[in-house]
Amino acid sequence: MAGAADRGAYDLGGVLDVDRLRSVPSGTALLISGPAMTGKDGLLQSFLADGLSRSEAALAVTTSGTAEGFVDDIRERAEFEGRALSVVDCRAEGSRESQELEGGSHVHRVSDPADLTSIGVCITEALDRVDVGGYDRGRFGLTSLSTMLTYTDEKTVFKFCHVLASRLDGAGFVGLFTIDESAHDQQTLQVLKQNFDGQVQLREREGQREVRVRGLGGDPSPWRVL
Amino acid sequence: MDGTDDPVVLIVEDEPDVAGTYEIWLEEAYEVRVAADGDEGLRRLDDSVDVVLLDRKMPGLSGDELLERIRERGIDCRVAMVTAVDPDFEILEMGFDTYLSKPVDADQLTETVEALLARSEYDSLLREYYALVEKRAALEATKEDAALAENREYRRLTAEVEELRDRLSETIGGIADDEEFIAAIRGVDDGGGG
Repeated sequence: MAGAADRGAYDLGGVLDVDRLRSVPSGTALLISGPAMTGKDGLLQSFLADGLSRSEAALAVTTSGTAEGFVDDIRERAEFEGRALSVVDCRAEGSRESQELEGGSHVHRVSDPADLTSIGVCITEALDRVDVGGYDRGRFGLTSLSTMLTYTDEKTVFKFCHVLASRLDGAGFVGLFTIDESAHDQQTLQVLKQNFDGQVQLREREGQREVRVRGLGGDPSPWRVL
Repeated sequence: MDGTDDPVVLIVEDEPDVAGTYEIWLEEAYEVRVAADGDEGLRRLDDSVDVVLLDRKMPGLSGDELLERIRERGIDCRVAMVTAVDPDFEILEMGFDTYLSKPVDADQLTETVEALLARSEYDSLLREYYALVEKRAALEATKEDAALAENREYRRLTAEVEELRDRLSETIGGIADDEEFIAAIRGVDDGGGG
């Protein structure tokens, strides 16, 4: 980005040892895709945990499970300062609220995954907290676009991703978004992919999980065991 | 209406002096309509209005109520609330696109109107962008990579997608701040029109 202070590329290679993940420009948005049960959420959490262990901030938007569970899963993967992590839980019951968890991480609750404005407001609040906390870089994760697509249409999700990616670029973050490839038709996947600079694809072969990286310059990397 | 292509700004303000001042500041660059209260504002509102400057506290129909009517009628315009106190993001969630704190000076007013027009431009570019991406994806889903490279329509669509993406990031500067972000998301959330 010309003019904008380059706050340095992100090293995502700590999670997946693929050359082109060693230096990912800030503002990059990646799609983590694969059929159900191939470990997309786990991989997303590993990317966030890896960033936290490097003193980067992390911000997650979740559409299933509890925010507390999500925070615990990340805690199992890395040691970090609690306040560096914020989670926006989009399937919380009741009205919108914000709460600090034990350990200092923050949870924002939204009751409806289709209420994009409220989700946007929570993301804004979380980014402000990151800023106040003195972090100038971080990783953003959203899980999952598939759930959002069951609550709202493809066009809306597409535009939401686009606006969000622009905001993350402005904030100097990298973004990671998961999608269940088996839950949507080819057309929908093809449309949504356009918002992303690259793709981390997962699949299962003979009982083993395999992964490859597409985009970010160059041909797809070879499939390899995760 | 003077029949020009200038963007149309509707001022809804019950203090004539204030409304008159806004009108003087804006009339050179915009087609300005003035309404002395919420009810008149509703009457003077139609699809040609691009920006509404809305006083919040007025006799009769209040600013909040008028905003509700605007959104109900599905009129695609940007609304700035003019208020005596600094509100929070809630204002944006209510459907206002931005707010101005009184007293407002000429620069603030023109900058706000310009920013709101840029946001409209962004919303319509984003709609256009989606339509192109959808078309391109339909080709990608049915043809092999090698055939795509040869396909004239595909190449044209790809060039247009790239161009629109650049224009999007230039319009409102790639959504650098919170307010732009929430307003853009709200544009998406409203369904964004056709």
